[in-house]
Amino acid sequence: METITLAWRNIWRSRRRTIITLIAISFSLMLVQGFHNLAFGVYAQMIDSGVRSGSGHIAVYRGDYATSRDDRLSWELAGLKEKVTTLDGVRAALPRVYLLGLAQSSRESRGILLTGIDPVAENDINPLLKKIDAPELIRSLNGRDALVGNRLLTELKLKIGNKFVVTAQGPGKELVSELFRIRGVVKSGIREVDNSLVMVGRERAARLIGGPDSVHELAVILEHPDLEDKLTGEITSLLGNRENLSAVSWEVAMANLANAIKLDYASQKFIFLIIVLIVTIGVVNTLLMSVMERIREFGVILAVGATPGRLRRMVITEAFLIGVISMLLGNLLGILLTWYLADVGIDLRRFVPETMEFGGVVFDPVMRAAWDFSYMIKMSLYVLVLSVIASLYPAAKAARILPAEAMRHF
Amino acid sequence: MSLIALRNMTKIYPSGNQHITAVDELNLFIKAGEFAVLAGPSGSGKTTVLNIIGALDRPTEGAVAVDQCDYSEMSKKELADFRLRRIGFIFQSYNLIPVLTAAENAEFTLMLQGVPAEERRKRIEAIFAELGIDGLENRRPGDLSGGQQQRVAIARAIAPEPAVILADEPTANLDSHTAEDLLDLMRKLNREKGVTFLFSSHDQLVISHAQRVVHLRDGRLESDTRQDA
Repeated sequence: METITLAWRNIWRSRRRTIITLIAISFSLMLVQGFHNLAFGVYAQMIDSGVRSGSGHIAVYRGDYATSRDDRLSWELAGLKEKVTTLDGVRAALPRVYLLGLAQSSRESRGILLTGIDPVAENDINPLLKKIDAPELIRSLNGRDALVGNRLLTELKLKIGNKFVVTAQGPGKELVSELFRIRGVVKSGIREVDNSLVMVGRERAARLIGGPDSVHELAVILEHPDLEDKLTGEITSLLGNRENLSAVSWEVAMANLANAIKLDYASQKFIFLIIVLIVTIGVVNTLLMSVMERIREFGVILAVGATPGRLRRMVITEAFLIGVISMLLGNLLGILLTWYLADVGIDLRRFVPETMEFGGVVFDPVMRAAWDFSYMIKMSLYVLVLSVIASLYPAAKAARILPAEAMRHF
Repeated sequence: MSLIALRNMTKIYPSGNQHITAVDELNLFIKAGEFAVLAGPSGSGKTTVLNIIGALDRPTEGAVAVDQCDYSEMSKKELADFRLRRIGFIFQSYNLIPVLTAAENAEFTLMLQGVPAEERRKRIEAIFAELGIDGLENRRPGDLSGGQQQRVAIARAIAPEPAVILADEPTANLDSHTAEDLLDLMRKLNREKGVTFLFSSHDQLVISHAQRVVHLRDGRLESDTRQDA
């Protein structure tokens, strides 16, 4: 019959009120965990899609290319791709050339972004290429095969198999041109990409800016995003002081996507804050009601020799027990909700177009959760701590009771 | 040597802009082993005196000592310890903790004193047998009659072997037969174990059982008589 036993029995005095409080807190925890995991899954999918078609988890750039996108900041690959590929945890290293230029057909001309890629490595990784049938893919590093965005194809009034010319500014500011033949069409769902994308073999694109080994970016795809910090360090060591090269995170290289996720998550945090308020109010309400109902009894407990500290501890223990039960129940519900959201997901295809853009990447309209265990544990502990904090006022109120006055209370 | 000594004790309660004198310069001395009652009509100051002796309230003026201990300067924690070790309380409406069983209620004060569980159990078994409530150990207060509840309250009060037991209108909620049984029981404890009892009551039955009757009126001592009981 120690404090914990007494507290346990006390919380079940008003069974209905305790159950309602437990349900409110557990459901709050379930919603926070479930919807965080959903956001976590959606963001992970967007980041994955973004890094594969964009900068990689880690990108190597020269100077401030990540922010300026200055064509002149190209550099010589000189075997770096092979060295990076051998690092533990690296799935692929994709060298790329980016060049703003003008695409001209016999009837139209349009501004484009010429992207030089390594087709063999890129075909397995880049989601833009995964939808394209094998015979339509680029065949070599220095051939004249080109993939173009579907909207650009229409605007240039071209068809697969047609030729077109790309003109860009060479390293000496002179105009340089290359002829390409359309082999396939890219349909990303992102208007800017479909309007301007021209993908060609990297070495062919590199001829426009200098030697065949010139690149603007080495996009490094990792086995797991958590390896980013470790491998950024290792790649930085490999780079040494070479040509002012640096390894940067995808958050720097794809600032639009990173900022869009941060903004979206900030709005979710506001909802979480409301849920946290529900938890706090629930616990304070339950315990305060419970304390107010027991003023006379507390007076007796003090009268027979309990210290105010013991009374305070008893109320805090009651809150702790409510927190523990809510935490266990909330986790169970949170796991079930996450499991459902991860397995079945939320299908938005009825409400939104087949392809949606978010922060510059294609967003899958079937949203699926992913497990973020550290967050789940953190939120569980948060609920427990919050329950105890919410009990401090009712506990202080109980400890301030004057026994002689309390025993006159009915 | 008095077990309880009140010297010129005054208690004044503020009430809005006015002050109500509940006890007015009371001098009262109770010796160990006495079976005394503070008698008087409602508002005569009986409960106030009992609360002050029991360290539940402090006097406005004057000195109070119980078991040679003056607690006027004690902190809340020290007062709690003082009550725990030297005072036993019996209340009008029993005031048992509803979520605890009869035995747990009775051993509550022992638990507060840090007495080991096994020893608590043995002591409570013996006390329950003595008070005639053995077999009721595992019942909750809600499952006990008024008389049984008050016996459990007596068990709680005597278990830590305090210097004095203060009983505020202990028979007010009981029928006369049960009340008489309980008073006989308390008198027996007083005679056989030397437990000091101080009651507050205006019940003639209680007054008739007391060895000493202290009459209060308007917070002052009206009479102090000894009788055969």
